[in-house]
Amino acid sequence: MQLYLPIAEMPVDPFVVIAMGAAVGFLSGMFGVGGGFLMTPLLIFYGIPPAVAVGSETTQITASSVSGALSHIKRKTVDFQMGGFLVAGGAVGSAIGVFLFRAFLKTGQIETLISVCYVVFLGAIGILMLTESVGALFRSTQARRPVRKRRSPAWMAGLPFPMRFRTSGLYISPIPPVMLGLLIGMIGAMMGVGGGFIMVPAMLYILNMPTNVVVGTSLFQIIFVTAITTLLHAAANQTVDIALGLLLILGGVIGAQFGVRAGMKLKGEQLRALLALIVLAVCARLLIGLALPPASFFIVESAS
Amino acid sequence: MRLLLLALALFATKAAAAEVEIALTEERVEVDAGFAGARLTLFGAVTGIEDPASIDMISVIRGPETRFKVRQVEKNNLIWTPGPPHAVGPAPGLYLTYSTRPVDDIAPLPLQADYHLDADYLDIAIQDHLNAPPKNPGLFRSAFLSEAEAAGLYGARTKGVSFKKNALFTIDARLPANTPVGDYEVAVYLFRNGEMIGADTASLAVNRVGVERRIYDFAHLRPVSYGIFCVALSLLAGWVASLAFRK
Repeated sequence: MQLYLPIAEMPVDPFVVIAMGAAVGFLSGMFGVGGGFLMTPLLIFYGIPPAVAVGSETTQITASSVSGALSHIKRKTVDFQMGGFLVAGGAVGSAIGVFLFRAFLKTGQIETLISVCYVVFLGAIGILMLTESVGALFRSTQARRPVRKRRSPAWMAGLPFPMRFRTSGLYISPIPPVMLGLLIGMIGAMMGVGGGFIMVPAMLYILNMPTNVVVGTSLFQIIFVTAITTLLHAAANQTVDIALGLLLILGGVIGAQFGVRAGMKLKGEQLRALLALIVLAVCARLLIGLALPPASFFIVESAS
Repeated sequence: MRLLLLALALFATKAAAAEVEIALTEERVEVDAGFAGARLTLFGAVTGIEDPASIDMISVIRGPETRFKVRQVEKNNLIWTPGPPHAVGPAPGLYLTYSTRPVDDIAPLPLQADYHLDADYLDIAIQDHLNAPPKNPGLFRSAFLSEAEAAGLYGARTKGVSFKKNALFTIDARLPANTPVGDYEVAVYLFRNGEMIGADTASLAVNRVGVERRIYDFAHLRPVSYGIFCVALSLLAGWVASLAFRK
């Protein structure tokens, strides 16, 4: 069976697309990550134009973050105040990201930009995660690590307009969260990701937020920032394919249900090591694509 | 084109009069959600000829004139990146020939050139990214032609043309799934002993229809509303999913 995608302007096998969504959904349910960083490259490998892959994947991230965030809101594990500042920064970052995306789209370098961004971020995060989790695996037989002492970083309280974040128990200036939101919004808009894989560690280790509100707050801000990104990609580049997005959402929702169950059977550090290997594999595949001579030395596109 | 045909008709009467008339079974091809390419059947009849078996036929299907950008992928330090664009075209968005035998065996080169019977004889303008004549136009021209052929948009086929009883013939053509939307021209040329003895043309439209067209138009004509629609739909889908799988 074939389905002709209206914006990508190409026929795809809808079951293959749903299966890809389900596979990534499974992994994202298992590891508790958004999965955009796997889905976008997978779509590009499948032959979807990179610009459409990035624009359409954001709809799937919005959808999958909604269901996650709703359950966190019920459990009261969302810091709305912090989330608000992250969204404010994220909106500006997203606009910058879409603007840069458009500029690179016009010069024909967008595929290179996306690949290079992925190689850099996936490579760095994959290596960090792998060393951390392998270290933890070797230590896991020994005594537990001492509980990390958490307090507001002093330099952040020294910045202008410091305020109290009650849910997170912090007294800091809103400038660092806004800047963090901006940076991740920008990266997300260019890479077609939610940015949770950067946001969560940054919240833990830079903002020193408590572990229990980190995931909920990250999901909360991802909904808004990816929604803005979708809107901007649609308005500026016409690269959001809603038919593709809905297929991915359908697959992702189903896959995530099974992934959550599978994830419960593994230990945290095993999960992180496995995820690190997957991240590094995607990174390596993209790096090979950049470094090896292409199959065809010419690219033809219609210049509408 | 019309002038050429008129000239041809005058010329043809002098040589060996043959009349050919063609018709397409469908004059419009609809690109809908299930579109995966289309079969195109062309019927034709030749009159004024005694021995139809001696006739050769070349049919040319031309898609809408399109401007293209061609980039050469270059090694840039460690990685391969696309270079500056060369403007190629206008050129047919699709160019397929169907003939009874290879075109070179049927028509002499001057006729091939006059009637653009082979992609090599298409007039395709090429400019570099500074709108200047490029250093190496031949390279970009042949790159464009071979990429278009690899994409199934250009090609010369010698299957699909069949003569039925007497002087009736059919041409079974196939448009690929990536066939561009727009107005097409289908021409059929009759040859005998390397001389053109008749020709006719028909037109064809490839249009987006149904939900395919609605989404495309929505996204391109009202991009902001379309963006809001996409966001609303994904929020709704996420909410429905969380309801569906609530424990």
